[in-house]
Amino acid sequence: MSKRRNDIILTAVLLLAAVAGLLLFKTLSRQGDFAVVLINGEETARFPLDTDTEFVIETDGGVNTLVIADGKAYIKEANCPDGICVDHTPISRIGETITCLPHGVVVTVKSEKASDTGLDMVA
Amino acid sequence: MRKFIIVASAVLILLFSSCGEKTPEKFTAYYFDWFDTATTIVGYADNKEDFDAVCADISAQFTEYHRLYNIYNHYDGLTNLYTVNHSDGTVEVDERITDMLAFSKEAYTLTNGNTNVAMGSVLSLWHNARTHGERHPESAALPDMEKLKAASLHTDIEKVIIDEDNNTVTLLDGEMSLDVGAIAKGYAVEMVAKSLEEKEISGYLLNVGGNVRAVGARPDGTKWTVGIENPDAESEDEAYLAYLAVESEAVVTSGSYQRYYYVDGKAYHHIIDPETLMPGENFRSVSVICDSSALGDALSTALFCMSAEEGSALVDSLENVEAMWVLPTGEIKYSAGFEKYMK
Repeated sequence: MSKRRNDIILTAVLLLAAVAGLLLFKTLSRQGDFAVVLINGEETARFPLDTDTEFVIETDGGVNTLVIADGKAYIKEANCPDGICVDHTPISRIGETITCLPHGVVVTVKSEKASDTGLDMVA
Repeated sequence: MRKFIIVASAVLILLFSSCGEKTPEKFTAYYFDWFDTATTIVGYADNKEDFDAVCADISAQFTEYHRLYNIYNHYDGLTNLYTVNHSDGTVEVDERITDMLAFSKEAYTLTNGNTNVAMGSVLSLWHNARTHGERHPESAALPDMEKLKAASLHTDIEKVIIDEDNNTVTLLDGEMSLDVGAIAKGYAVEMVAKSLEEKEISGYLLNVGGNVRAVGARPDGTKWTVGIENPDAESEDEAYLAYLAVESEAVVTSGSYQRYYYVDGKAYHHIIDPETLMPGENFRSVSVICDSSALGDALSTALFCMSAEEGSALVDSLENVEAMWVLPTGEIKYSAGFEKYMK
Protein backbone atom coordinates (compact mmCIF):
# COMPACT_ATOMS: atom_id res chain seq x y z
CA MET A 1 0.00 0.00 0.00
CA SER A 2 2.70 2.44 1.00
CA LYS A 3 4.71 1.34 -2.01
CA ARG A 4 1.89 2.34 -4.32
CA ARG A 5 1.56 5.68 -2.53
CA ASN A 6 5.27 6.34 -3.06
CA ASP A 7 4.88 5.57 -6.75
CA ILE A 8 2.09 8.09 -7.04
CA ILE A 9 4.10 10.74 -5.20
CA LEU A 10 7.17 10.05 -7.33
CA THR A 11 5.20 10.30 -10.58
CA ALA A 12 3.48 13.48 -9.43
CA VAL A 13 6.79 15.09 -8.40
CA LEU A 14 8.42 14.18 -11.72
CA LEU A 15 5.47 15.49 -13.71
CA LEU A 16 5.45 18.73 -11.72
CA ALA A 17 9.20 19.14 -12.22
CA ALA A 18 8.84 18.59 -15.98
CA VAL A 19 5.99 21.08 -16.27
CA ALA A 20 7.81 23.67 -14.13
CA GLY A 21 10.95 23.20 -16.22
CA LEU A 22 9.04 23.66 -19.46
CA LEU A 23 7.32 26.81 -18.17
CA LEU A 24 10.62 28.25 -16.97
CA PHE A 25 12.24 27.45 -20.32
CA LYS A 26 9.37 29.09 -22.18
CA THR A 27 9.53 32.26 -20.10
CA LEU A 28 13.30 32.55 -20.22
CA SER A 29 13.57 31.81 -23.92
CA ARG A 30 11.49 34.86 -24.72
CA GLN A 31 14.07 37.36 -23.47
CA GLY A 32 16.70 38.02 -26.14
CA ASP A 33 20.48 38.44 -25.89
CA PHE A 34 21.31 40.84 -28.74
CA ALA A 35 19.94 43.83 -30.57
CA VAL A 36 20.80 43.29 -34.23
CA VAL A 37 20.97 46.28 -36.57
CA LEU A 38 20.18 45.75 -40.26
CA ILE A 39 20.41 48.38 -42.97
CA ASN A 40 18.49 47.49 -46.14
CA GLY A 41 18.27 43.93 -44.88
CA GLU A 42 22.01 43.47 -44.28
CA GLU A 43 23.26 42.98 -40.73
CA THR A 44 25.68 45.79 -39.88
CA ALA A 45 26.05 45.55 -36.10
CA ARG A 46 24.88 43.67 -33.02
CA PHE A 47 24.94 44.70 -29.38
CA PRO A 48 24.49 42.60 -26.24
CA LEU A 49 21.42 43.78 -24.36
CA ASP A 50 23.18 43.44 -20.99
CA THR A 51 25.67 46.24 -21.76
CA ASP A 52 24.43 49.84 -21.82
CA THR A 53 25.58 51.63 -24.95
CA GLU A 54 24.69 54.26 -27.53
CA PHE A 55 25.31 53.83 -31.26
CA VAL A 56 24.60 56.07 -34.23
CA ILE A 57 23.25 54.07 -37.16
CA GLU A 58 24.39 55.85 -40.32
CA THR A 59 22.46 55.20 -43.52
CA ASP A 60 22.29 56.87 -46.92
CA GLY A 61 18.98 58.41 -45.87
CA GLY A 62 20.05 59.73 -42.47
CA VAL A 63 20.88 58.68 -38.92
CA ASN A 64 19.12 56.86 -36.07
CA THR A 65 20.59 56.84 -32.55
CA LEU A 66 20.22 53.42 -30.96
CA VAL A 67 20.39 53.18 -27.17
CA ILE A 68 20.79 50.00 -25.14
CA ALA A 69 19.84 50.57 -21.50
CA ASP A 70 18.40 48.39 -18.73
CA GLY A 71 18.40 45.37 -21.04
CA LYS A 72 16.27 47.07 -23.66
CA ALA A 73 16.92 48.70 -27.02
CA TYR A 74 15.24 51.80 -28.40
CA ILE A 75 15.79 54.63 -30.89
CA LYS A 76 16.51 57.86 -28.97
CA GLU A 77 16.77 60.21 -31.95
CA ALA A 78 16.45 60.05 -35.71
CA ASN A 79 16.31 62.54 -38.55
CA CYS A 80 13.78 60.55 -40.57
CA PRO A 81 10.66 62.45 -41.68
CA ASP A 82 8.06 60.46 -39.74
CA GLY A 83 9.85 59.70 -36.45
CA ILE A 84 7.84 56.51 -36.03
CA CYS A 85 10.95 54.57 -34.92
CA VAL A 86 11.53 57.06 -32.08
CA ASP A 87 7.95 56.62 -30.86
CA HIS A 88 8.36 52.83 -30.65
CA THR A 89 8.45 51.30 -27.19
CA PRO A 90 11.80 49.73 -26.06
CA ILE A 91 12.32 46.11 -27.17
CA SER A 92 13.98 43.19 -25.38
CA ARG A 93 12.23 39.96 -26.31
CA ILE A 94 13.18 37.61 -29.13
CA GLY A 95 11.62 38.73 -32.39
CA GLU A 96 10.66 42.22 -31.22
CA THR A 97 11.51 44.73 -33.91
CA ILE A 98 11.76 48.47 -34.49
CA THR A 99 11.64 49.56 -38.12
CA CYS A 100 12.60 52.91 -39.64
CA LEU A 101 11.07 52.75 -43.10
CA PRO A 102 12.55 55.99 -44.52
CA HIS A 103 16.11 54.91 -43.61
CA GLY A 104 15.67 51.18 -44.31
CA VAL A 105 16.72 50.32 -40.76
CA VAL A 106 15.59 47.32 -38.73
CA VAL A 107 16.58 46.72 -35.11
CA THR A 108 15.54 43.27 -33.96
CA VAL A 109 16.14 41.18 -30.83
CA LYS A 110 17.80 37.80 -31.21
CA SER A 111 19.04 35.13 -28.86
CA GLU A 112 22.33 33.21 -28.79
CA LYS A 113 20.52 29.97 -29.41
CA ALA A 114 19.90 29.46 -33.11
CA SER A 115 16.73 27.48 -32.48
CA ASP A 116 14.81 30.05 -30.48
CA THR A 117 11.08 29.55 -30.61
CA GLY A 118 10.00 33.02 -29.51
CA LEU A 119 8.06 35.50 -31.58
CA ASP A 120 8.14 34.72 -35.32
CA MET A 121 6.43 37.82 -36.70
CA VAL A 122 4.49 40.91 -35.71
CA ALA A 123 1.22 42.09 -37.23
CA MET B 1 14.71 3.00 -6.43
CA ARG B 2 14.79 0.93 -9.59
CA LYS B 3 11.36 2.30 -10.50
CA PHE B 4 12.64 5.83 -9.94
CA ILE B 5 15.48 5.30 -12.38
CA ILE B 6 13.15 3.87 -14.99
CA VAL B 7 10.68 6.74 -14.72
CA ALA B 8 13.44 9.36 -14.57
CA SER B 9 15.16 7.98 -17.67
CA ALA B 10 11.84 7.90 -19.49
CA VAL B 11 11.29 11.57 -18.70
CA LEU B 12 14.86 12.46 -19.74
CA ILE B 13 14.57 10.53 -22.99
CA LEU B 14 11.30 12.32 -23.76
CA LEU B 15 12.82 15.72 -23.03
CA PHE B 16 15.91 15.26 -25.15
CA SER B 17 14.73 12.94 -27.89
CA SER B 18 14.28 15.79 -30.36
CA CYS B 19 17.83 17.10 -29.95
CA GLY B 20 19.59 14.52 -32.09
CA GLU B 21 17.62 15.07 -35.30
CA LYS B 22 18.94 17.38 -37.96
CA THR B 23 16.34 20.11 -38.22
CA PRO B 24 15.98 22.85 -40.82
CA GLU B 25 17.35 26.22 -39.80
CA LYS B 26 15.33 29.39 -39.41
CA PHE B 27 16.22 32.39 -41.63
CA THR B 28 14.91 35.93 -41.93
CA ALA B 29 15.10 38.46 -44.77
CA TYR B 30 14.03 42.11 -44.79
CA TYR B 31 13.05 44.29 -47.75
CA PHE B 32 12.01 47.92 -48.14
CA ASP B 33 11.16 47.85 -51.82
CA TRP B 34 7.42 47.25 -52.02
CA PHE B 35 4.16 49.03 -51.21
CA ASP B 36 5.95 51.82 -49.34
CA THR B 37 6.37 49.59 -46.29
CA ALA B 38 8.70 47.03 -44.72
CA THR B 39 8.55 43.36 -45.77
CA THR B 40 9.82 40.47 -43.67
CA ILE B 41 10.19 36.87 -44.81
CA VAL B 42 10.80 34.19 -42.19
CA GLY B 43 11.38 30.65 -43.36
CA TYR B 44 12.85 27.28 -42.47
CA ALA B 45 15.30 25.75 -44.92
CA ASP B 46 18.13 23.21 -44.87
CA ASN B 47 20.63 25.91 -45.75
CA LYS B 48 20.96 29.59 -46.63
CA GLU B 49 21.07 28.86 -50.38
CA ASP B 50 17.68 27.14 -50.33
CA PHE B 51 16.19 30.02 -48.31
CA ASP B 52 17.68 32.60 -50.68
CA ALA B 53 16.22 30.79 -53.67
CA VAL B 54 12.71 30.90 -52.21
CA CYS B 55 13.21 34.57 -51.28
CA ALA B 56 14.31 35.37 -54.83
CA ASP B 57 11.06 33.83 -56.12
CA ILE B 58 8.99 35.78 -53.56
CA SER B 59 10.94 38.96 -54.34
CA ALA B 60 10.33 38.71 -58.06
CA GLN B 61 6.61 38.24 -57.49
CA PHE B 62 6.26 41.15 -55.05
CA THR B 63 8.18 43.41 -57.43
CA GLU B 64 5.64 42.66 -60.17
CA TYR B 65 2.63 43.21 -57.91
CA HIS B 66 4.17 46.40 -56.54
CA ARG B 67 4.59 47.82 -60.04
CA LEU B 68 1.17 46.74 -61.29
CA TYR B 69 -0.68 48.17 -58.27
CA ASN B 70 1.40 51.36 -58.07
CA ILE B 71 -0.59 54.60 -58.34
CA TYR B 72 2.37 56.98 -57.89
CA ASN B 73 4.80 55.79 -60.57
CA HIS B 74 4.80 54.97 -64.24
CA TYR B 75 7.11 52.20 -65.48
CA ASP B 76 8.23 52.08 -69.09
CA GLY B 77 6.41 49.41 -71.05
CA LEU B 78 4.01 48.57 -68.20
CA THR B 79 0.32 49.37 -67.89
CA ASN B 80 -0.37 49.77 -64.18
CA LEU B 81 -2.88 51.58 -61.95
CA TYR B 82 -1.03 54.85 -62.55
CA THR B 83 -1.82 54.37 -66.23
CA VAL B 84 -5.47 53.64 -65.43
CA ASN B 85 -5.78 56.73 -63.22
CA HIS B 86 -4.24 58.93 -65.90
CA SER B 87 -6.22 57.60 -68.88
CA ASP B 88 -9.58 58.49 -70.32
CA GLY B 89 -11.71 55.57 -71.40
CA THR B 90 -11.05 51.86 -71.33
CA VAL B 91 -7.58 50.51 -70.49
CA GLU B 92 -6.40 46.98 -71.14
CA VAL B 93 -4.52 45.68 -68.10
CA ASP B 94 -2.81 42.63 -66.63
CA GLU B 95 -5.17 39.97 -65.27
CA ARG B 96 -3.70 40.53 -61.80
CA ILE B 97 -5.20 44.06 -61.87
CA THR B 98 -8.72 43.02 -62.92
CA ASP B 99 -8.69 40.12 -60.41
CA MET B 100 -7.67 42.44 -57.57
CA LEU B 101 -10.21 45.11 -58.55
CA ALA B 102 -12.99 42.52 -58.83
CA PHE B 103 -12.08 41.36 -55.32
CA SER B 104 -12.08 45.00 -54.15
CA LYS B 105 -15.64 45.45 -55.40
CA GLU B 106 -16.72 42.33 -53.49
CA ALA B 107 -15.00 43.71 -50.39
CA TYR B 108 -16.85 47.02 -50.84
CA THR B 109 -20.19 45.21 -50.80
CA LEU B 110 -19.18 42.94 -47.91
CA THR B 111 -18.05 45.86 -45.73
CA ASN B 112 -20.97 48.11 -46.58
CA GLY B 113 -18.71 50.60 -48.36
CA ASN B 114 -16.10 50.85 -45.62
CA THR B 115 -13.27 49.85 -47.96
CA ASN B 116 -13.54 51.73 -51.21
CA VAL B 117 -10.76 51.59 -53.80
CA ALA B 118 -12.54 54.38 -55.72
CA MET B 119 -11.61 56.90 -52.99
CA GLY B 120 -8.41 58.00 -54.76
CA SER B 121 -9.54 61.62 -55.13
CA VAL B 122 -10.01 61.95 -51.34
CA LEU B 123 -6.98 59.90 -50.33
CA SER B 124 -4.63 61.79 -52.65
CA LEU B 125 -5.46 65.02 -50.77
CA TRP B 126 -4.48 63.29 -47.52
CA HIS B 127 -1.39 61.76 -49.13
CA ASN B 128 -0.19 65.14 -50.37
CA ALA B 129 -0.88 66.85 -47.03
CA ARG B 130 0.97 64.11 -45.12
CA THR B 131 3.96 64.07 -47.48
CA HIS B 132 4.24 67.85 -47.22
CA GLY B 133 3.86 67.73 -43.41
CA GLU B 134 6.61 65.12 -43.08
CA ARG B 135 9.02 67.17 -45.16
CA HIS B 136 8.08 70.59 -43.78
CA PRO B 137 6.81 70.07 -40.23
CA GLU B 138 6.66 73.87 -39.64
CA SER B 139 3.96 74.29 -42.29
CA ALA B 140 2.18 70.93 -41.81
CA ALA B 141 -1.56 71.27 -42.36
CA LEU B 142 -4.71 69.21 -42.77
CA PRO B 143 -6.26 68.95 -46.22
CA ASP B 144 -8.97 71.52 -46.84
CA MET B 145 -12.41 70.10 -45.83
CA GLU B 146 -14.19 71.81 -48.75
CA LYS B 147 -11.76 70.15 -51.16
CA LEU B 148 -12.23 66.79 -49.40
CA LYS B 149 -16.01 67.12 -49.72
CA ALA B 150 -15.76 68.10 -53.38
CA ALA B 151 -13.45 65.13 -54.01
CA SER B 152 -15.81 62.75 -52.21
CA LEU B 153 -18.42 63.35 -54.94
CA HIS B 154 -16.16 61.32 -57.25
CA THR B 155 -15.84 58.06 -55.31
CA ASP B 156 -18.71 55.96 -56.69
CA ILE B 157 -17.30 52.45 -57.07
CA GLU B 158 -20.18 51.56 -59.42
CA LYS B 159 -18.40 53.78 -61.94
CA VAL B 160 -15.36 51.50 -61.89
CA ILE B 161 -16.12 49.04 -64.67
CA ILE B 162 -14.18 45.78 -64.66
CA ASP B 163 -14.34 43.47 -67.66
CA GLU B 164 -12.80 40.21 -66.51
CA ASP B 165 -13.26 38.51 -69.89
CA ASN B 166 -11.30 41.14 -71.80
CA ASN B 167 -9.12 42.32 -68.89
CA THR B 168 -10.07 45.96 -69.10
CA VAL B 169 -10.78 48.71 -66.59
CA THR B 170 -12.89 51.80 -67.28
CA LEU B 171 -13.37 54.73 -64.92
CA LEU B 172 -16.67 56.32 -65.97
CA ASP B 173 -16.09 59.44 -63.85
CA GLY B 174 -13.23 61.50 -65.28
CA GLU B 175 -12.43 63.01 -61.87
CA MET B 176 -12.27 59.72 -60.00
CA SER B 177 -9.12 57.73 -59.31
CA LEU B 178 -8.20 54.39 -57.76
CA ASP B 179 -6.26 54.02 -54.47
CA VAL B 180 -5.76 50.39 -53.52
CA GLY B 181 -3.80 51.05 -50.32
CA ALA B 182 -6.37 49.21 -48.21
CA ILE B 183 -6.30 46.02 -50.25
CA ALA B 184 -3.36 45.64 -52.64
CA LYS B 185 -0.71 44.66 -50.05
CA GLY B 186 -2.90 41.98 -48.51
CA TYR B 187 -4.03 40.78 -51.92
CA ALA B 188 -0.44 40.49 -53.18
CA VAL B 189 0.63 38.63 -50.03
CA GLU B 190 -2.23 36.16 -50.53
CA MET B 191 -1.33 35.58 -54.18
CA VAL B 192 2.36 35.01 -53.37
CA ALA B 193 1.42 32.68 -50.50
CA LYS B 194 -0.84 30.69 -52.83
CA SER B 195 1.91 30.37 -55.42
CA LEU B 196 4.26 28.99 -52.75
CA GLU B 197 1.58 26.50 -51.68
CA GLU B 198 1.18 25.38 -55.29
CA LYS B 199 4.93 24.72 -55.41
CA GLU B 200 4.51 22.73 -52.19
CA ILE B 201 6.78 25.09 -50.29
CA SER B 202 6.01 25.10 -46.59
CA GLY B 203 7.41 26.59 -43.38
CA TYR B 204 7.35 30.24 -44.50
CA LEU B 205 5.84 33.34 -42.97
CA LEU B 206 5.33 36.48 -45.08
CA ASN B 207 4.75 39.96 -43.69
CA VAL B 208 4.20 43.05 -45.82
CA GLY B 209 3.50 46.03 -43.59
CA GLY B 210 1.40 44.17 -41.01
CA ASN B 211 -0.19 41.74 -43.49
CA VAL B 212 1.06 38.41 -42.15
CA ARG B 213 0.34 35.12 -43.91
CA ALA B 214 1.63 31.72 -42.84
CA VAL B 215 2.51 29.21 -45.56
CA GLY B 216 2.38 25.91 -43.69
CA ALA B 217 3.43 25.30 -40.09
CA ARG B 218 7.02 25.10 -38.87
CA PRO B 219 8.87 21.98 -40.10
CA ASP B 220 8.38 20.31 -36.70
CA GLY B 221 4.63 20.73 -37.12
CA THR B 222 4.26 23.36 -34.41
CA LYS B 223 2.42 26.60 -35.09
CA TRP B 224 3.99 30.01 -35.61
CA THR B 225 3.78 32.73 -33.00
CA VAL B 226 2.53 36.05 -34.35
CA GLY B 227 2.50 39.02 -31.99
CA ILE B 228 -0.07 41.79 -32.15
CA GLU B 229 1.72 45.11 -31.80
CA ASN B 230 0.68 47.33 -28.90
CA PRO B 231 -0.58 50.47 -30.68
CA ASP B 232 0.26 52.56 -27.62
CA ALA B 233 3.92 53.21 -28.37
CA GLU B 234 4.37 55.33 -25.25
CA SER B 235 3.23 52.42 -23.10
CA GLU B 236 5.79 51.04 -20.67
CA ASP B 237 3.86 47.77 -20.71
CA GLU B 238 4.17 44.94 -23.16
CA ALA B 239 5.21 45.78 -26.71
CA TYR B 240 2.72 43.12 -27.85
CA LEU B 241 -0.90 42.76 -26.78
CA ALA B 242 -1.42 39.17 -27.83
CA TYR B 243 0.52 36.17 -29.07
CA LEU B 244 -1.36 34.14 -31.68
CA ALA B 245 -0.70 30.59 -32.84
CA VAL B 246 -1.23 30.21 -36.59
CA GLU B 247 -0.51 27.52 -39.15
CA SER B 248 -1.80 28.71 -42.52
CA GLU B 249 -3.93 31.68 -41.54
CA ALA B 250 -3.47 35.37 -42.21
CA VAL B 251 -3.18 37.92 -39.41
CA VAL B 252 -3.64 41.52 -40.51
CA THR B 253 -3.54 44.67 -38.39
CA SER B 254 -4.67 48.15 -39.36
CA GLY B 255 -3.47 50.71 -36.85
CA SER B 256 -3.25 54.44 -36.37
CA TYR B 257 0.40 53.99 -35.29
CA GLN B 258 1.51 52.57 -38.66
CA ARG B 259 1.62 55.85 -40.60
CA TYR B 260 0.88 59.35 -39.41
CA TYR B 261 2.06 62.95 -39.40
CA TYR B 262 1.78 65.79 -36.93
CA VAL B 263 -0.23 68.99 -37.32
CA ASP B 264 0.05 71.38 -34.37
CA GLY B 265 1.34 68.57 -32.19
CA LYS B 266 -1.55 66.20 -32.93
CA ALA B 267 -0.95 62.97 -34.86
CA TYR B 268 -3.15 62.36 -37.91
CA HIS B 269 -3.01 58.82 -39.26
CA HIS B 270 -3.64 57.32 -42.67
CA ILE B 271 -6.89 55.33 -42.37
CA ILE B 272 -9.55 57.71 -43.67
CA ASP B 273 -13.18 57.14 -42.72
CA PRO B 274 -15.30 57.35 -45.93
CA GLU B 275 -18.12 59.01 -43.92
CA THR B 276 -16.19 61.81 -42.15
CA LEU B 277 -13.29 62.02 -44.68
CA MET B 278 -11.04 62.28 -41.59
CA PRO B 279 -8.80 59.67 -39.89
CA GLY B 280 -11.03 57.11 -38.14
CA GLU B 281 -11.15 57.67 -34.38
CA ASN B 282 -13.06 54.64 -33.11
CA PHE B 283 -9.97 52.48 -32.49
CA ARG B 284 -6.20 52.50 -32.16
CA SER B 285 -5.93 49.28 -34.10
CA VAL B 286 -7.97 46.39 -35.42
CA SER B 287 -6.50 42.95 -36.10
CA VAL B 288 -8.16 40.25 -38.15
CA ILE B 289 -7.43 36.52 -38.33
CA CYS B 290 -8.84 34.70 -41.35
CA ASP B 291 -7.91 32.32 -44.16
CA SER B 292 -6.93 35.00 -46.66
CA SER B 293 -4.60 37.94 -46.28
CA ALA B 294 -6.57 39.77 -49.01
CA LEU B 295 -9.80 39.50 -47.02
CA GLY B 296 -7.93 40.27 -43.80
CA ASP B 297 -6.51 43.49 -45.24
CA ALA B 298 -9.89 44.67 -46.55
CA LEU B 299 -11.66 43.74 -43.31
CA SER B 300 -9.11 45.28 -40.92
CA THR B 301 -9.34 48.62 -42.76
CA ALA B 302 -13.14 48.49 -42.90
CA LEU B 303 -13.53 47.47 -39.24
CA PHE B 304 -11.25 50.35 -38.26
CA CYS B 305 -13.83 52.78 -39.66
CA MET B 306 -16.98 50.94 -38.51
CA SER B 307 -18.53 51.17 -35.04
CA ALA B 308 -17.70 48.34 -32.63
CA GLU B 309 -21.28 47.03 -32.86
CA GLU B 310 -21.48 47.12 -36.65
CA GLY B 311 -18.00 45.60 -37.00
CA SER B 312 -18.63 42.85 -34.52
CA ALA B 313 -21.89 41.92 -36.29
CA LEU B 314 -19.98 41.72 -39.58
CA VAL B 315 -17.26 39.49 -38.10
CA ASP B 316 -19.84 37.20 -36.49
CA SER B 317 -21.62 36.83 -39.84
CA LEU B 318 -18.46 35.53 -41.55
CA GLU B 319 -17.06 32.04 -41.19
CA ASN B 320 -13.47 31.57 -40.04
CA VAL B 321 -13.00 35.28 -39.36
CA GLU B 322 -12.01 36.60 -35.94
CA ALA B 323 -11.06 40.10 -34.86
CA MET B 324 -9.56 42.08 -32.03
CA TRP B 325 -10.30 45.79 -31.48
CA VAL B 326 -8.10 48.12 -29.42
CA LEU B 327 -10.15 51.10 -28.27
CA PRO B 328 -8.70 54.60 -27.71
CA THR B 329 -8.91 53.92 -23.95
CA GLY B 330 -6.66 50.88 -24.34
CA GLU B 331 -9.57 48.52 -23.68
CA ILE B 332 -9.52 45.44 -25.92
CA LYS B 333 -12.53 43.69 -27.43
CA TYR B 334 -12.39 40.23 -29.00
CA SER B 335 -14.76 38.41 -31.34
CA ALA B 336 -16.25 35.18 -29.96
CA GLY B 337 -13.62 32.81 -31.37
CA PHE B 338 -10.53 35.01 -31.20
CA GLU B 339 -9.23 33.57 -27.96
CA LYS B 340 -8.79 30.08 -29.37
CA TYR B 341 -5.81 31.47 -31.34
CA MET B 342 -4.23 33.12 -28.31
CA LYS B 343 -1.20 31.53 -26.65
